[in-house]
Amino acid sequence: MDLTALPLRAAAARPHVLLVTTPGGTATRLAAERQLRLQDLPQARTPADADVLLVAGPECRGLRPAIDRLWQSLPAPRARARAATPGALPDALERCRAELAEPRGLRHAEHRHENPAGVGPDEGPDAEFGNGRDERDGDGGGAHDGHERHDGHGPDGGNGGHEGHEAGEYHGSHDSPGSHGSHESPGSHGSHGRHGGHESHGSHSDHGDSGPPWGLPMAGQGEDRDGLTLDQLHVPLGPFLADWPDGLAARLTLQGDVVQRLEFERPPVGGGGSCPPFWGEPWARAAAGERVAAGEGARRRAAAHADSLGRLLAVAGWAGAATTARRLRDDLLDGASSAELRPGVRRFARRVGRSRTLYWLTRGTGVLTAEAARDAGVTGPAARADGDVPARYRTWLAALVRDVDRLADRTPLDPAEDGPRGGAADGRWPSAALVRVLPGLLEGAELAAARLVVASLDPDPDELAAVPREVDA
Amino acid sequence: MTETAAWWSLLAAPALLLAGAVLAVAGDALLAARAAGRPATVRTALRPLLEVPRLLAAQPRRLPAADRLLWRLGVVTVPVAAVLSALVIPFGGTAVADLPVGVVWFNAMEVLTWAGLWLAGWGPNAAFSLIGGYRFVAQGLAYELPLMFALLSAATAAESLRVGDIAQAQHGLWFAVWMPLAFAVYLAGVLAFSFLGPFRYPAGEDVAAGVLGETSGVDRLLLEAGRWLWLTSGAAMAVPLFLGGGAGPGLPGWAWSTLKTLAVLAVLVWVLRRMPVVRADRYVEFAWVVLVPLTLVQVLVPALVVLGR
Repeated sequence: MDLTALPLRAAAARPHVLLVTTPGGTATRLAAERQLRLQDLPQARTPADADVLLVAGPECRGLRPAIDRLWQSLPAPRARARAATPGALPDALERCRAELAEPRGLRHAEHRHENPAGVGPDEGPDAEFGNGRDERDGDGGGAHDGHERHDGHGPDGGNGGHEGHEAGEYHGSHDSPGSHGSHESPGSHGSHGRHGGHESHGSHSDHGDSGPPWGLPMAGQGEDRDGLTLDQLHVPLGPFLADWPDGLAARLTLQGDVVQRLEFERPPVGGGGSCPPFWGEPWARAAAGERVAAGEGARRRAAAHADSLGRLLAVAGWAGAATTARRLRDDLLDGASSAELRPGVRRFARRVGRSRTLYWLTRGTGVLTAEAARDAGVTGPAARADGDVPARYRTWLAALVRDVDRLADRTPLDPAEDGPRGGAADGRWPSAALVRVLPGLLEGAELAAARLVVASLDPDPDELAAVPREVDA
Repeated sequence: MTETAAWWSLLAAPALLLAGAVLAVAGDALLAARAAGRPATVRTALRPLLEVPRLLAAQPRRLPAADRLLWRLGVVTVPVAAVLSALVIPFGGTAVADLPVGVVWFNAMEVLTWAGLWLAGWGPNAAFSLIGGYRFVAQGLAYELPLMFALLSAATAAESLRVGDIAQAQHGLWFAVWMPLAFAVYLAGVLAFSFLGPFRYPAGEDVAAGVLGETSGVDRLLLEAGRWLWLTSGAAMAVPLFLGGGAGPGLPGWAWSTLKTLAVLAVLVWVLRRMPVVRADRYVEFAWVVLVPLTLVQVLVPALVVLGR
């Protein structure tokens, strides 16, 4: 064998996994996060750091181009799989690792259509930008090889370069007007970040001499919050970003790292939205007339709060506490009893709730008064908290502690009781209201603070994509 | 007196530094495994080393309109500066180069990291990466002055900028004992210039790993190695500055140096997961309003002691 065999085996032994969730894939995501944690497979934050692209959840047409762009940005050697259900996960991961260890595919990108596993390692001395996909697959999406299976178990194959540019959505490059004109809202500044982008249009030759250099628009200028004229960047946030509500895409106007404006795009369509969201499932079942124990609702709500706390703590960069939150979440979903969970949950709530450092770093950000929340239709913990980010995470912690005591409650669940993100309003799942209040909260915030605010409200992508919830009259 | 070592120490010093960095990574992996509910075994501790072959095999990243020259320059600067900084640190009684301005050399190498990391953020021509680079500059504005005053406290007390002299000046009483504030500020500075733990703001999760976000392959390996090498170098430098260098009963100087360095390193690694990331906008306020005055007073203490001697 050659020199590459050993490093390839090393990559297969501990691949970094870029986990992407499509709407309706929460249960699969939770299973994947647990498996990655227990097997010590690090989660990649960006495609640059990933060896495996793992899509958790059902096929979603609206997100497909974004996922394909992520795939294009993965450096070779790489592998890709989709698991629609938690049961398909171990298989999918195992196959990806086998592909990574198998050096045969590395230098034979042209055979990738024959490769049933759909590994399309990129290579190519002709690659000038990105990974060279742009030239070959750039226009038309015809390159989408047709062996992607939709049964939810098969590998999500393909290198399909639908759009011929890099996965900007993931890590914050701005849009080029040429490639993403539809995203450009009318009357926007017409100015684009010089530094933001690495979305390539392909090669030099795509652009005449008159075009912007490298196909990238230059930064425009605009007034900042202090009235100074500074460069503006247009950066897409999402639909896929580490510890971000997956599938939620926002267009961000940045000056430096200060958010000037943020507009959310419509939630992705095309699949996944037919069944009730994972976190709201007990309430949906109760509303449909099924007899559900209140303890089941409490368990689901507690797990949802632990999940949200894990995300918030990860965004805040508190690795230890984030891991604890996610372990508690997994234990809750495993069906651990109140007595088993109580000491750990209490300790966790004390540690996080009383942390002066976390309070110091988050206080004063994203203040949402109860009144403003009511006006926007926000219910649940975000409305009850009536305050800033610390108020919201403390509300979650209090609810978590309370719910853990109620796990054995056998009385029937009242469908009108608040779910993890509140009750239904206007016949819609509560997350829609959370997204509505976000732009107002984020304007003028630093990017770091903006991320904390989003994580402290934590809209559920499943709820955003789901059909409106029927409310009992 | 610290002596200058033979030529081969030029190879031994980076090797020792690397060994320390590997131990730190292994320790961090063990703590991470315990937190995640995995068994903490030798295998667990060594698994992060698989990153080295993994990253060597990975395709380097190419991006449109990237500033490739400056990007590479920045990426290489970080580990190189870390290794260069270690040259003035005495190991027992010998250093590779016991410069008369050793403290300044160490500080200069550390500031070189600013340039390196900023360039590493600038190079890929991507928004989050650039924000990461600027975050390090903002963080630098916060931690650098208190760190320099902490270094100055030790230098003032020893009346010398030579690292060997500073270690010698602590016979009987470590500077860490009567200048605890300078010691604490120095340790925070070590975490800050290795952008790890609470100070990994430039590579924060909220900006998708910031300066590291666009790097893959060897570039990433160099940056990751750079931050752990810096952590080790900072821990090793704490020994002559605040913990009496290689002095100690019973054991030879090199053994004491090693033990003390590993102890400091263990404390630093332990802190890594126990705190949220300190946002630079909040830390600048704290650093300038609280830490700078306090460290100035701290410098004043040894100055008065020296005058009154």
